[in-house]
Amino acid sequence: MTKEKTEKPVLTDEQKKIRRKAIFNRYKAWLYLLPAIVILLIFTVWPIFNTIRMALLKNYDSMKELGGMSFEFGFDNFVSVVHYNKFLTCLGNTMLLTIITVPVSTMLALLVAVALNSIKFLRRAFQTIFFLPYVTNSIAIGMVFMTMFQMIGNINNPVSLGIINSIIEALGGTRVNWVNVGSNYWANITVLAIYIIWNALPFKILVLLGGLQGVNKQYYDAAKVDGASRWRIFWRITVPLLSPMIAYVVITGFIGGFKEYSSIVGIFGDTMGPVGNKGSLNTMVGFIYDNIQENQGRASAAALILFAIILVVTMINLYVSKKKVHY
Amino acid sequence: MKVVLQHLTKIFPSRNKKDKGAEVIAVNDFNLEIPDGKLIGLLGPSGCGKSTTLFMISGLQTPSDGKIFFGEDDVTELAPENRGIGLVFQNYALYPHLTVQQNILFPLQNLKGENRLSKEEMLRRADEVAKLVQIDEYMNRKPSELSGGQQQRVAIARALVKMPRVLLLDEPLSNLDARLRLQTREEIRRIQRDTGITTIFVTHDQEEAMSISDYIVVMKLGVIMQTGKPQWVYDDPANLFVAKFLGTPPINVFTGKVENGYLYIGDEKVLDVGGVEDQEVYVGIRPEGFLLDAEGGLSCKVSGIDVMGRDISVVSTNPNAISPIVRSIISSDEIRNIAGDTVRFKLKEHKVFIFNKETELRVHFGGQIAMHEKMVAEMQAEGQAYTTHTGPLPREADDKVKQDTHVEQKKGFLAKVKGLLPKKKSNEKPVGSTEDKPAEEPQENQPSEE
Amino acid sequence: MEKENTPETTIPSAPTPQPAPIKTMKEKDIKSVSVKQRVVKILVQVGLYTFLTILAISILFPFYWMLISSLKTLTEYNETIPTLWPRQFCWDNYVTAFTGELNLGRLFLNTVIVGVVSTLLSLVVTIISAFAFARLEFKGKNLMFGALLATMMIPGELFTITNYITVSAFGWLNTFTVLIVPFLVSVFYIYLLRQNFMQIPNELYLAAKVDGTSDFKYLWRVMVPLSAPTLISITILKMMGAWNSYIWPLLVANDSAHKLVTVGLRGTAFVDLATNMINYPAQMAAVVIVTIPLLLVFIFFRKYIMRGVSRSGIKG
Repeated sequence: MTKEKTEKPVLTDEQKKIRRKAIFNRYKAWLYLLPAIVILLIFTVWPIFNTIRMALLKNYDSMKELGGMSFEFGFDNFVSVVHYNKFLTCLGNTMLLTIITVPVSTMLALLVAVALNSIKFLRRAFQTIFFLPYVTNSIAIGMVFMTMFQMIGNINNPVSLGIINSIIEALGGTRVNWVNVGSNYWANITVLAIYIIWNALPFKILVLLGGLQGVNKQYYDAAKVDGASRWRIFWRITVPLLSPMIAYVVITGFIGGFKEYSSIVGIFGDTMGPVGNKGSLNTMVGFIYDNIQENQGRASAAALILFAIILVVTMINLYVSKKKVHY
Repeated sequence: MKVVLQHLTKIFPSRNKKDKGAEVIAVNDFNLEIPDGKLIGLLGPSGCGKSTTLFMISGLQTPSDGKIFFGEDDVTELAPENRGIGLVFQNYALYPHLTVQQNILFPLQNLKGENRLSKEEMLRRADEVAKLVQIDEYMNRKPSELSGGQQQRVAIARALVKMPRVLLLDEPLSNLDARLRLQTREEIRRIQRDTGITTIFVTHDQEEAMSISDYIVVMKLGVIMQTGKPQWVYDDPANLFVAKFLGTPPINVFTGKVENGYLYIGDEKVLDVGGVEDQEVYVGIRPEGFLLDAEGGLSCKVSGIDVMGRDISVVSTNPNAISPIVRSIISSDEIRNIAGDTVRFKLKEHKVFIFNKETELRVHFGGQIAMHEKMVAEMQAEGQAYTTHTGPLPREADDKVKQDTHVEQKKGFLAKVKGLLPKKKSNEKPVGSTEDKPAEEPQENQPSEE
Repeated sequence: MEKENTPETTIPSAPTPQPAPIKTMKEKDIKSVSVKQRVVKILVQVGLYTFLTILAISILFPFYWMLISSLKTLTEYNETIPTLWPRQFCWDNYVTAFTGELNLGRLFLNTVIVGVVSTLLSLVVTIISAFAFARLEFKGKNLMFGALLATMMIPGELFTITNYITVSAFGWLNTFTVLIVPFLVSVFYIYLLRQNFMQIPNELYLAAKVDGTSDFKYLWRVMVPLSAPTLISITILKMMGAWNSYIWPLLVANDSAHKLVTVGLRGTAFVDLATNMINYPAQMAAVVIVTIPLLLVFIFFRKYIMRGVSRSGIKG
């Protein structure tokens, strides 16, 4: 630095060029990162602070703020949100769906992965089929699920039963009002859970199968020589050896579950509930979007609560898996 | 438990579906009878089918042809768990999430029906076997907390705990360092003697096999080359491959001929081999088969002397030797007899093996004939059929082809880089070429082209 | 090795007393055991394939139902017990999907514009950022990279609220910009590509330096081609993201000139205003049209999609 200063007066053009190049080189990395940094500052970093800020301002409204209004600081948004019935419904729905779908889909995916790993013939075909739900538009296929479950016409005397109810009746059961007017909450949840599991399987199967293929085959050979039954191999060898992958799948499953939204839109539309029962199936994310235009303070508080829940659940998961997954 | 292998053959189908001809015969018509309670070493270079043979005995691989008997029972079709075997894998395959004790208990917990054991009995057995292999102090550790040698002993304990009829070990010492290897092989020998379980182990290390086996089976390219007690096989190799494979330092091989009952190396008449027909031969001479003698028939040019204490090793060259150097071991007292560049050797008759140049099979002569017959008779008396390979020897050429395709498959990321780099280079030449660099360029490239 | 005569010693093989070995099978048992073994093996195989087949059918059924529903006439669709195969193929549904109120063509065009532009820009930003993190040295690099990774923990909804306010203030509502710019930088893709870049041997970089190649040239000529598989994965996932995005577009660009496919699909385009009945076959036809491109992409780029997905855990 000092050297440069003393040389400053006698710089030739050539030296200037070299000096410019050196300066350029020093800041080159920042130049490469410039576009990413600008966008991240505006659309990621600022929102983090602003969300916290908005959540902590009473009756916050961005339009009014632009108009020059200022707001009082306080925890009112959090207090009102947790006392707000709609929010509690959303929280309950989200938790219920997550608690049902994550274990079921993980277990099912584990079974499929193990089954796929122990067959040769048609394995690739099965693998492809099981991956298909991943490459679909969850709104579009949600609409298909809806048509499968719904009845058309008057509920008591429907024009069309829908394929699922037709199958149930063909098997001697009684039809269920799954998604139509006046349908039962648990029937709605069942349909949603089936669809969410259908949607969640591919990723889990992919990860678990990848994990299985990474397990040293010798452990299985050793277990065979040791005379372990398939059942025992599954529980004593496969599951423990796969536990890091299972933990990964469960954690991402929980995170995804708490952000559930589009499957409900797919099946019930953006009313987030069967006809006549608007919002009965709404979720946390849905709640945030409902409030995004009118009540950003409340939306922010809800978003922070969602983040906190995800953080806590992830921490618990990590803690549990650290206790269980160590070798 | 006697183990009998009859016409055992394993053919691996070609991996490349288009090229059906590329199937690999890993084990070819393998016949062997292993007496009860013995320790057998399956020995051969990598790719000779020894591990495949072991895995067929274990039941983890199914033979393409042939039969396997344990005692009188035909177990060819039986799954591994029904054979009553213990297997120690090359990498031990200890369950990483279970403790030493849980690893050892695992096979016992799998027992069903009338074999089922009480919890106390299981623990007692696990304890007993842990004491046998001397790992009882580490019962609560995880495998990752053990040294290689300890893991190895846990693996043996796990294999032994259900008192298998046959114990199989796949390269059990290859993952240990030199000192542990010596110690552990004695351990294996001890355990095998203590339990009396018929044990088969696979190794590529001839010294290892020779030092602890009751019998060794030398294999090459899926075919048995020779069986017998280690010292017999060493003293009486049936063909050039076996002679070359056994012994450190290795045997010295020369080209030569037999003419009028005399063995010639080059023009030098080295030995009286009366009774042998005239033919072109390979001559194998064990390093300890040389005697310094001014009158000796074989002359070599001395290039160095290694002093090894009691013995010295004379390193020399001979134009007819196949390897670049001829190594002979002589008593250190003889060192004063070495003067000048050239030494002359007399040869000990029983340390000189001659092999027909075409077939590479052994040609016995003189006292060797009687010695050979005595060995065969002794072996049969012990209930072990003497086996050597008599047909045309499998050629290395087959081996080469296999290796090449292997390399082909291994080409991955770096091969792609290699393909990419020259292209980039030629593009960059006009921009980047400077006068002082061209000499360095290839060097710069080398690490990435490896 | 020096021993000259054959060793006379025979190895004593008398086993020392040992715990009773576990009962091994008698000869006659072996036949029954191997039969049992074979039966179990076959049963297990049958079980496995049955399980997989049943599940595969459940996975495939919605696709099948979507296809046949899209080919039924409205009358057939509304029968009490749905038919499993259309009595006659009614291709008109597809015409309706394109020509009706939905205006699928326009939706497609909008989606393709957003998808292609945002993917291209995003690739450029991702590549240069990943390069800076992988190969360049600068103060605070690790700190900054760590901070970036930490933001992945935060659910996107938390950003959306402020971003909605921001884009409104920018006057970007109902433009393509609003659909493209906020999501240009994906920390996950930068991370993925950086890992890939780091695997490229450093010797190559040094060799290029010796040749006097500039960083930029090296990046485009060597690193980018070598990372092609990852870049393809990113491209496909990003395109799929545009194709499937729903919430954000619904919020900020819901006019017909900028509406994206998924938003249009979930709208009310197929409701017959007179009867208030929905024309489901036509709707299913639209769903088929939206679904098919994704399936095609999957068939052709299966490997890349699976690679990217197994490391992401994020859909779209």
